Amino acid sequence: MLVSNIEIIPGKRIASHLGLVQGNTVRTKHVGRDLMAGLKNIFGGELKGYTELLNDAREEAMQRMMQQAEAMGANAVINVRFSTSSVAAGAAELFAYGTAVVLE
Amino acid sequence: MTDLVVFLVLLTLGFVFGRLAESRHFKSIQKRERELATVLAFSERLPPPTNTPRRVALVGGNVVISVDYFKMIAAGLRSLFGGRVRSFESLVERARREALLRMKQQALELGAAMVVNVKLETASISKGSKGQIGAVEVYAYGTALIDIT
Amino acid sequence: MSNYENRPVPEGINYSQENPLKEFFLLLLAAGGALLVLLLILSLAAQKLAPLVPFSLEEKLVSRYAEQFPAPPESERAQLIENYLQQLAEQLLESQRLPEGLNLKIHYLPSKTVNAFATLGGNVYILDGLLEKMDSENALAMVVAHEIAHIINRDPIVAMGRGLTVSLALASVAGLSNSGAADWLIQQLGLATVMSFTRDQERAADAMALDMLQAHYGNVQGAGRLFAVMSEGGIAPPELLSTHPLSDKRIAAIQAYAQSHPQQGEPYPLPELIQQ
Repeated sequence: MLVSNIEIIPGKRIASHLGLVQGNTVRTKHVGRDLMAGLKNIFGGELKGYTELLNDAREEAMQRMMQQAEAMGANAVINVRFSTSSVAAGAAELFAYGTAVVLE
Repeated sequence: MTDLVVFLVLLTLGFVFGRLAESRHFKSIQKRERELATVLAFSERLPPPTNTPRRVALVGGNVVISVDYFKMIAAGLRSLFGGRVRSFESLVERARREALLRMKQQALELGAAMVVNVKLETASISKGSKGQIGAVEVYAYGTALIDIT
Repeated sequence: MSNYENRPVPEGINYSQENPLKEFFLLLLAAGGALLVLLLILSLAAQKLAPLVPFSLEEKLVSRYAEQFPAPPESERAQLIENYLQQLAEQLLESQRLPEGLNLKIHYLPSKTVNAFATLGGNVYILDGLLEKMDSENALAMVVAHEIAHIINRDPIVAMGRGLTVSLALASVAGLSNSGAADWLIQQLGLATVMSFTRDQERAADAMALDMLQAHYGNVQGAGRLFAVMSEGGIAPPELLSTHPLSDKRIAAIQAYAQSHPQQGEPYPLPELIQQ
């Protein structure tokens, strides 16, 4: 599965455009992590726990999007966009969407 | 003690009605998705190259969906342990598909057969005093391509 | 010219179709279990540490909140009763060694509520309602001895230490979870931990009180009266919820004690002062 955020895959021709595919996930960290992050707020610096959380969640959102594309019979997702929103305090929603296509 | 009773009643009400509303909403979404299958939607920025004359119009659809009490408590519990918040995932999924459907509906009314450059915006609105979510808003928008005949 | 179409997307990729109740109960169970373990550890730690607080500090603490304690009785009779109770307590204490620096003060309250309690600063309160129900000096001595035993065991400071630790822990967990719902849930769970003595503490106080009675009177007659009053006087909560062991069990414990110790003499009547 080829994933890209440009619309044209160089050297390939798009045989068919199959439409929108989406992947989303809402994740939280356990309270221990929240506590550490609270402490970190005093000293500053990278919140490794949350970096990891958002990264994992984004990865999963992408997996789900590709799962949808695969179910459609596509072999690539182009023009992929990510969007993040905090649905509830301490919980992050990661959303990925793009157009599933069949490359020749 | 009365607090506990109120809590349990709210939880039950939230669960029963929330689940009923959710399954009904999913059924309606699936039905309308089949009906609106003629309107195509793509996230690509450029329309397919063509020689037929076309008009473009910005179309959009939004929806605000509220959480129920059960979902809220379940998410609160989940936040103690971390991990996937299933109760909110189905909520945003419903909101997204509903917003897309409303966008497609508008495109259909304009006589369009295709919407390109579709983008989705999510916002959580009416936050409570403690930051708990009240509702989620999704706005779907794109450019409808209308053939001039 | 490429082909454009929208193929249907299968359901259930972005959300789970399983019943949310299953996850909910699992989480509830895990949260409850974790909280219980946390509270148990904290209350045990508090229990171990609280008796190390010097008694002088406890008294200082109490003096700061003096206005929250019941005012001393004004009538002459009440003062006489208080003196009598104090004397009774000192007689009972002859067999026990009061820990260093501990001051015992027995107070009498002219309230009709059937109750007696020991609290911080070595203060014991006997309410008139309970006094009226006592049929002999020995029965009253059991009440006084039981409360004295709480003081000697430092139960009030242990209970306060436990209560403070638990409420502090609950508050910090509630603050952490960042969600109003979880906050609320924890508050509800926290209601179960009020400042009270545990059943073990009550049992230990009973045993010590019986020793005091046996040493002073040569018998433990009338000791069961307190529990008879307790079980007839109110709705007995189911044992699981109650901090006091059930009255039946406590009476049985007294009978067992009476059988293993020689019983001599008869119970003394109450002084006329109280009988009026």
